[in-house]
Amino acid sequence: MKCLSINQIYLYIEKELSLSENKKIEEHLATCRKCKKALEERRPLLQASENLPLWKTPPDFTQQVMARIFPLRVPLSAWLTAAYAGLGSTTLAIFILFLVAGQHFSSLLTSLNHSLWNFVRNLSPVFVKLVKVASLFIKALQQFFGYIIKTFTSLTTIISPQVQIIIITIAIILIAFSIYGIKRKILIGEKA
Amino acid sequence: MSSMDEDKELVERTIKGEKEAFEMIIQKYQHPLLNYIGRTVGERELALDFTQEVFIRTYSSLHSYKPQYKFSTWLFKIASNFIIDYWRKKKIDAFSLDQKDRDNDLPPLQVSDEEPSIVKKLEFSELKERIEQALEKIPAPLREVFVWRHINEFSYEEMAEIKGLPVGTIKNRVFQARELIRKHLEEKA
Repeated sequence: MKCLSINQIYLYIEKELSLSENKKIEEHLATCRKCKKALEERRPLLQASENLPLWKTPPDFTQQVMARIFPLRVPLSAWLTAAYAGLGSTTLAIFILFLVAGQHFSSLLTSLNHSLWNFVRNLSPVFVKLVKVASLFIKALQQFFGYIIKTFTSLTTIISPQVQIIIITIAIILIAFSIYGIKRKILIGEKA
Repeated sequence: MSSMDEDKELVERTIKGEKEAFEMIIQKYQHPLLNYIGRTVGERELALDFTQEVFIRTYSSLHSYKPQYKFSTWLFKIASNFIIDYWRKKKIDAFSLDQKDRDNDLPPLQVSDEEPSIVKKLEFSELKERIEQALEKIPAPLREVFVWRHINEFSYEEMAEIKGLPVGTIKNRVFQARELIRKHLEEKA
C-alpha cells in the first residue's frame, strides 16, 4: 500500500472509515514511520479542537429574545380601567372640594379659572424677557466661538505644527499662572 | 423521545401559539448558535446581537419549516445565510462565493517528507489557545465548517445538508481548515 493521504489520516482518527479500510491503514501504519508520525501529529490537534472553551450567553438572554419577539402589549381593558379610574377620581375630588368649600360647582369653576388667568398674566412678561435674554446670550456666545475658530484655523495654515505646540503650551502655562494668581489675590484679600 | 422529535414538537407547539415552546428552543440552541456565530464574527457583543437576530428570523419563518428536515440543520442554515449577508454587506472578500470554485481545484493533501512535529511539543492548554488564534486567520468558509465539526459536533452529512454541498466538498474544507491551522501553528513556533 502506498503512503496515506492527509484525508485518510483524518478519517481514520475520526473513525469515519469502514472496517476493511481501517484494517488496511493499520497494516500500513505498522510499517511506515512517516505516516505514523503524521498521524501522531494530528491526533492531539483534533483532541484540542474538540475541547476549545465555549462561549456563554448572559443569564437573561432568553428573556431578551422573547421581549423582542413578543413586545409588551397593554390590552384595551387595561387602558379602559385607567380611564375609568381617572374620571372617577376627578369627579370625587370635585365633589370633596364642593363639600369643603361649600360653594356651588359653577362658582368654584369660575374662581379656579380666575386664579389660573391671574397666574398666567403675571408670569408671561417675565417668561418672554427670560427667553429674549437667553437668545441674545446664545448669539453672543456663537459669535465669540466663531471668531476663535476662524482665527485658529487661519493661524494653523500659516504656522508650522511645532510652533503651534509651543504657542498652545505657553497659553496653557499663562492660563494656569493667571488662575493661580487670582486665587492668591483672593486669599490675601480674605486674610486682610 | 429523541432530540429530533422533541424539536418538531416544540416547533408545532410554537406555531399553535405556545410562547413557552419557543422559549425552550432558545434555551436549547443559544449556546451552540453563539459559539458558531461568535467564532465566525469574532466579537462577543456582535455575536450576541446576531444570535438574537437569528432567533427572530427563525421565529418569523417557522411556518416554512418542513418537518422532514432536522430542525438544528434548518436553524444553522438560517444562521449561515445571516452571516453570509453580513459579510456581503461588509464587502469582506474572505467570504467570497468563489470558494465553491476553489473546492474543485483542491489538490489531494499528502504527507510531506520533512513534516515538523509542532503539535506534539505543545502543552494541551497552550495548543487550544494557539488553535483559537489560528482559527481567526483562516478563510471564513473553512472556519465555518471547522467550528461546526469541532464545536457544534455536526456530522459531515449534516454540514453538507446545511450548506447544500456534496459531503466530499465539506470533508475537503474541514481537512483544509485543519491543515491551515497546523500551518499557522508551525509559523508561530
